[in-house]
Amino acid sequence: MKHVSPTEVTGEARVKGPTRRALAKQQTRNKVIAAARQLFSENGYEGATIRDIAAAAGMSTGAVFANFSDKSDLFREIMFSDFSKLVAEMREAAGRARGIEDALLKIFSTGYAFYRTEMPLARAAFSVSWAPQEGELFRKIAPLAETQQLIFEQLNLAVERGELGQEAEVKLRAQMLYEAYLANYPQAIFEGWSLEALQARSRDQIRILLAGARRG
Amino acid sequence: MAGAGLRQSQKAATRQRVLAAARDLFADQGYDAATIRQIAQRAGVSVGSVFTSFASKGQILSEVMQQRLDGLYAELDGVIPHLRGSTADRVRSMFAIHFAFEIRHVQLFLAHIASAYDWTLASGALPFGRNLRLQGLLTDCLSTGVSTGDVDPATDLQGVVDLLMAAYAWTYRLAAWEQASAEAMTAVMDQQIGLIFAGLRPR
Repeated sequence: MKHVSPTEVTGEARVKGPTRRALAKQQTRNKVIAAARQLFSENGYEGATIRDIAAAAGMSTGAVFANFSDKSDLFREIMFSDFSKLVAEMREAAGRARGIEDALLKIFSTGYAFYRTEMPLARAAFSVSWAPQEGELFRKIAPLAETQQLIFEQLNLAVERGELGQEAEVKLRAQMLYEAYLANYPQAIFEGWSLEALQARSRDQIRILLAGARRG
Repeated sequence: MAGAGLRQSQKAATRQRVLAAARDLFADQGYDAATIRQIAQRAGVSVGSVFTSFASKGQILSEVMQQRLDGLYAELDGVIPHLRGSTADRVRSMFAIHFAFEIRHVQLFLAHIASAYDWTLASGALPFGRNLRLQGLLTDCLSTGVSTGDVDPATDLQGVVDLLMAAYAWTYRLAAWEQASAEAMTAVMDQQIGLIFAGLRPR
């Protein structure tokens, strides 16, 4: 058995104490987030209450409020973590693409695939994004703006490569591509479109939105 | 039979009273602040009978907007045969008419967009974005464009309609977040329509 000196024990405890507390706090947060994710998916943003979320997580509403200032804060935390993951996947997919049309299609498809099993949560996100007050905070979630930025960067790269003309109106085109990307979600949410159907529609739309900027 | 008929017409009258009360309340204090209880009070009916006719406040909004749009489309039906210019220009005019009409009720239209994703909305209600009349008008206009040689016949017209609807909904950001006027919204939409139609030219 390894001999442990008393000083080492205190040294260890000094390091471990706060870590263990932080760990416990993180576990509580994770439990709340998992319960909230489930309830937002089942009942929508409006339909899910902090009381229900606390009950599902097996804790008091006080414990939830100790970790999140309100429901909107909790929802945005979930969105922040999802969008961060998603935009990293999109960036990676765009890096593997050949040409601008393929890059954009890969970005769109990555999004649709990401939410394929979580359409109710996407639906809740759309609902919040249009709400007067919560919408403004929602739109400030950093990785959300990054998706549009990624499209913008890809268009600029295509101009640099000479794939698109210099006068490609990159800013407007990036915004419209982003709109088109978002506008296809309702097809999946309400009409149950498959990933393949979304891709086919996106490909046509990307072609139309790029056509005016193509060279020659 | 007569009893059933009477009940039917009473039910229809209640619906209309609730819709009229909701329209006024939404205009006075906004959609979020208006409660079902207030709507019932103003309509002179019980809260219970509001819920026999409507599943939720979201559904009431959807029908209020539908009635408003009836007026808009009556106007458009008269105007459309007189629209001139290229297909893009005719589409521009159609959206300009929408913005001029909707700018008067921007907050309600925003609530309407948000409610499209509402869980409580009955499946029969038609939220914004699934506005089939506008989509129908656009499809007709694009089909005419194909026959006059403005639009490539190989185009997926529904895909273009979706792009236009996406641009239309998105342009509302300007009204909501930047208090843009109908003219400013129309200018932004015109640019987007130009970009879309540049991709539709026959090759």
